[in-house]
This record gives sequence, C-alpha cells and structure tokens, in this order.
Amino acid sequence: MRGPDRFSAETMRLSAVRPVALLLCRELVLTALLLVGVSVVVFLILHLAPGDPFSVLLGDQMATASVHGEMRHAVGEQGPWYGGYTVWLANMVRGNFGTSIRTGLPVLGEIVRVGINTLYLTLGSMLVTLLIAVPIALSSSAQGTTLRNWPFTMFAYVVSALPVFWLSYVVIYFFIHKFRLFPILLGPSGGQKWISFLLPILVLGIANGTVSEVVRYLQNEMSRVLAEDYIRTARAKGASVWAHAFKEGFLIPATEIIAAKMPFMLGGAVVVEQVFNWPGMGRMAWQAAQDRDYPVIMGIAIAAAVFVRVGALLQRVVYIMVNPRASHEESRSWGA
Amino acid sequence: MGGMKQYRQTSRQGLKVGRLTFLRAAAPRDLVCVGYGLCIALVVVLSYILGFLKLLPYDPQDMDLTLMMVPPGASGHLLGTDFMGRDILARLILGTQAYFLPGLLGITIALSLGALFGILAGYRERTADRTISFVVNLIDSFPRLVLILLVIAAFKPDIYYIMVVVGITNVPTVASLIRGKIQFLRDKNFIEAAVAIGLNTRSIILKHILWYNCRSLLIIQATLGMAEAILIETSLSYLGFGVQEPTPSWGNMVLSGANYLLQGKFWLSTTPALAILVTILGFHLLGDGLNNILEAGGKK
Repeated sequence: MRGPDRFSAETMRLSAVRPVALLLCRELVLTALLLVGVSVVVFLILHLAPGDPFSVLLGDQMATASVHGEMRHAVGEQGPWYGGYTVWLANMVRGNFGTSIRTGLPVLGEIVRVGINTLYLTLGSMLVTLLIAVPIALSSSAQGTTLRNWPFTMFAYVVSALPVFWLSYVVIYFFIHKFRLFPILLGPSGGQKWISFLLPILVLGIANGTVSEVVRYLQNEMSRVLAEDYIRTARAKGASVWAHAFKEGFLIPATEIIAAKMPFMLGGAVVVEQVFNWPGMGRMAWQAAQDRDYPVIMGIAIAAAVFVRVGALLQRVVYIMVNPRASHEESRSWGA
Repeated sequence: MGGMKQYRQTSRQGLKVGRLTFLRAAAPRDLVCVGYGLCIALVVVLSYILGFLKLLPYDPQDMDLTLMMVPPGASGHLLGTDFMGRDILARLILGTQAYFLPGLLGITIALSLGALFGILAGYRERTADRTISFVVNLIDSFPRLVLILLVIAAFKPDIYYIMVVVGITNVPTVASLIRGKIQFLRDKNFIEAAVAIGLNTRSIILKHILWYNCRSLLIIQATLGMAEAILIETSLSYLGFGVQEPTPSWGNMVLSGANYLLQGKFWLSTTPALAILVTILGFHLLGDGLNNILEAGGKK
C-alpha cells in the first residue's frame, strides 16, 4: 500500500523539478525585462521635460550654450535620446548612477547609504500592518462577519483613512509633552535609539492607508479557501482546518498583498521620513524634487522599482514553491 | 377587501423588488456604509459648488490678527480660526477645490484607459494580453509618490500633471478587473452566445460587456479613485508640492497648523485632518459597500 504511493510521489517530484526551475528562470527574465522598462520610462520622463534641467541649476546667470554643453557632458547626456539612454544605461549597469547636482556626491553611494534606513522603515511597518490586519481578517473569516467583529473591520477602515502626517504630529506631541521623551526628532542615529526607531515604523504601519485593503483581501481569500471541499473533508475527518488552509488561505495571499502594497509603503515613507527627519530614500527624493536634482531622483525611482520588483520576485518564488499547480498554470503575473 | 389590499401591497412590493432586489438582498451594514459614503460624496460636491460660487461663511483669505487661533465655536467661527485669524470652516470648504476637479481628471483617465486595456487584454489573443500585462507590471513597479516626485522634478508641481500620473498609475487596477470580468463572462459562454446571435463586436463590447456587466465595477473604481486623489493631493500639499499658501488645501492646512499642535492648539491641524479622515473613509466605505452589494450579489 505504501510502496507504490511513495513511488508515485517520488516520480512526481522528479518530473516537477524542471518546470519549477523553468518557471523561476522565466520570472528572473521577466524581472530583468521589467527593470529595463523601468529605466526607459524614467529616462523618457526626464527627456520629455520642457525646459532644460540645466537652466534650472545654472539659473539665469550663466545661460550660455557652452556652459550648457559642458554641464550636459558632465552628467553624461548628449546626442539624441537613445544615444543618451544607452550611455546612461551602460553607466548604470556599471554602478555609475551619476553624481548629485546639489552635493556633487555619487548617487549610488548615497542611495545605498540611506536606502537601508528606508528598508528598515518599510519592512518594519509592513510587519506592523500585518500584526493589525491578520487577526481582524482571520477572526472575521472564521466566524463570518458578526456584530462582534464588525467594529474591528470598521476600525481597520478608519485607521486606513488617517492622514499619516497628522498622526505623526499627534504621536510626536504625545511623546514630547506627555511622556517627556525628547530625542525622537534626531532620527535613527541619535538619542534614545529604540524609540526614535520604533515611532516612525509604528506610525507608517498604522496609517499607510492599506490596512483595510489588506484585511479585505486576506479575509476574502481565507473565506474562499474555508469554503473549499478539501477543507470540508479535513473538518469531517477531524484534522486541523487551519493547518490545511494555511498555505492557500494565508501564506499565498499574505505574500501577494505584501508584494502588491510594497510601492504604497515606499510612497508613505516619503511623508513619514519627512516628518520624523528619518534619513532615508523618501526624504532624499523630497529634497531632490525640491532642487530638481535629476540624477538623484532618477536613481531613487530606479532603486524603488528594484525594491518593488525584488519583492514581487520573492512573492512569485514563494508561490511557485508552495503551490504544486504553479507549473501547470499560465503566467499569473497580473493582479499582484 | 383584506385580500385585495394584501394583493396590492405584494404587487407593489413586487414591482419595487423587481428593480431593486439587490437592495433587499444586501446586508444592513453594507447599506449603512453606502449611505454614509453617499452623504460624504454629497457634502464634497456641495462644498465644491459653494466654493465655486464663493458662498462661504467668511472670506477664506481674510486675515484678522485680533482673532488669531480662536477655538472652535468662539466669536462666530464655527470651527475656529487659524494662525492668521482666517476662518477654518471657510478654508475647509474652499479646500475641496484643490482635489475635486483634478481627481475627476485622474478618474476619467484611469477608467477610460483601464477599460481600453482591459478589453484588449481580455478580448484579444495571447500576444496582446502578454504585452498589456507587461505594461501593467511596469507601471506597478513604481511607488506612486516617487513617480510623482519624478514628474514634479521634470515638469512642474501642478496638480493636473500629478493627477494625470495618478490616473495612469490606476490604469492597471481597472484593466485587470475588467479583464477578469471578461474572462468570467467568457467562461460562462456569454460572449460566445452574443456572437452566435449575430451581435457585432462593438455592441458586444460597449453595451453588453462595459455597460451591462462592468458598470458597477467602474463606479466602484471611481469612488476609490476619488479617495486616492484626496490622499495624494493632501500628501503633496503637505509636502509643499501641491497647492501653496494662501490658497487652502486640507494638506497645507494640516502643515501650517502642525506647529501649533505642539503648543496644544490642536484644532488648527486636527480639523483639516479630520476632514481628510472622514472624506477618505466615506469614499472607501462607499466603494467597498457597493462592491459587496453589487458585485458579490451578481456572482451568486
């Protein structure tokens, strides 16, 4: 009885090796293609911009053609757009993102230096969001929407409509005036480290505007899975329903929604970093937009897109690894 | 007589039910959400009209340095005054100008392009589908606010430019929803049947797919789009890229009042923040409530 069973499982696993590897390769290629597309979009936006980036920088004082030409050359932009693009892309692949017009420092180094702070902030607040959303979603999908858990769902809605900048000020107010904790405005490098570190993460995790969507998605998926036949079978034979529903009902939807909401987190980080003086990519993007510091904002857009694409790639890897049907499916790259 | 009365009652009810079955089938809590959302939408539209016609309780630009930071309710100012003695209620009402029309522009772009791409992807063969899903993924790769900052740096910090970007970044959501709907209709042999009875493609797409089957979906996306427009506009005004003082926007009102929050004068920034909260909440509840009532009911 057990022999043939194990044998068939073994052959299935052997036959499954190739498709999974192939799928992973395809995802990698897709990610690479998307990143090339991202660079084209970024380059085209700046190329279509009216007025000369350099006239902003130079002001009216030195508006001569030769100075412009020198500036263009220094930033590595010359000739028709595709020429400029290939030069720019080749430089970028070699790790040369240009230098900041404002500070004169190489962009890549700056982004790597502050990017790690943004990574802490976004991943930390994603965790906070999940800690709020998962219990609400699971309880209401297990019991159906009842009078007892409906207030929690509404709470999720209210929380996701909170303007994050106002919540930041309120939190700062309470921590300075009520709890007498002053050094929170120094950012992650100063003063009481843990509190300055935790507050922005908490604030962004609560008020990033995605909590209700996360609750809704997780709840719908879990309810759908709980209504499946295999869950009914599990329940009938007395096995743990949650163990059976975990993969399809929780793990896959949770990774999907994390990957899909990553861009929102990065966007919210722009605001939160501004309020809390957090030395991250968002603050740098704000500064660069103020100064029209093109190389920096281009670099940040690309770095952010790399964050998002790597997140999506990891989600696909989890999906392919967890879901045995993945190799039989056509691309599911829509949606998340 | 009694029987007759009962008959008339049921027949009248029957007529109503025939048109509005979905309302009876809806859960009361969804109706509450939708009702609240509709009220908020009405208030926003009214405020927009009032602001447009300049029918405000006070002149929103009128500084009165003798009445600076008056708390709500005092000396005739219902919601108090700000740090320059300007009436907060008037500025709140005028603040809807900052996002309403730009938001509609963003929604129009998202819905029209989204419908176009969704239909192309759902209706045409595989290559178009693949290309469009690639573009969708491409747009989804950018954090919205970062892309907006890029456009601000490249062009200018104009709210209409920004809303074009917001509209374009919402195209993927709408497109994939419509594509899913078409897939659903195809699985039910709906499109095959429409072709079989000799309808032409244009009528199938415009009337039978978009109007009969995607109408509610598009309305829902429009309400959610307005919520997002408010979020983006207020965030950008807060960051200093949107509407500039002295023109009021809820975002720059929160910003200018924030310093006084730390002094305990909470209403300067809390009132506009509550306006943002209540309005975004309203549009979210409206969209999701309608979704529960119309879409979930339609699938059963």
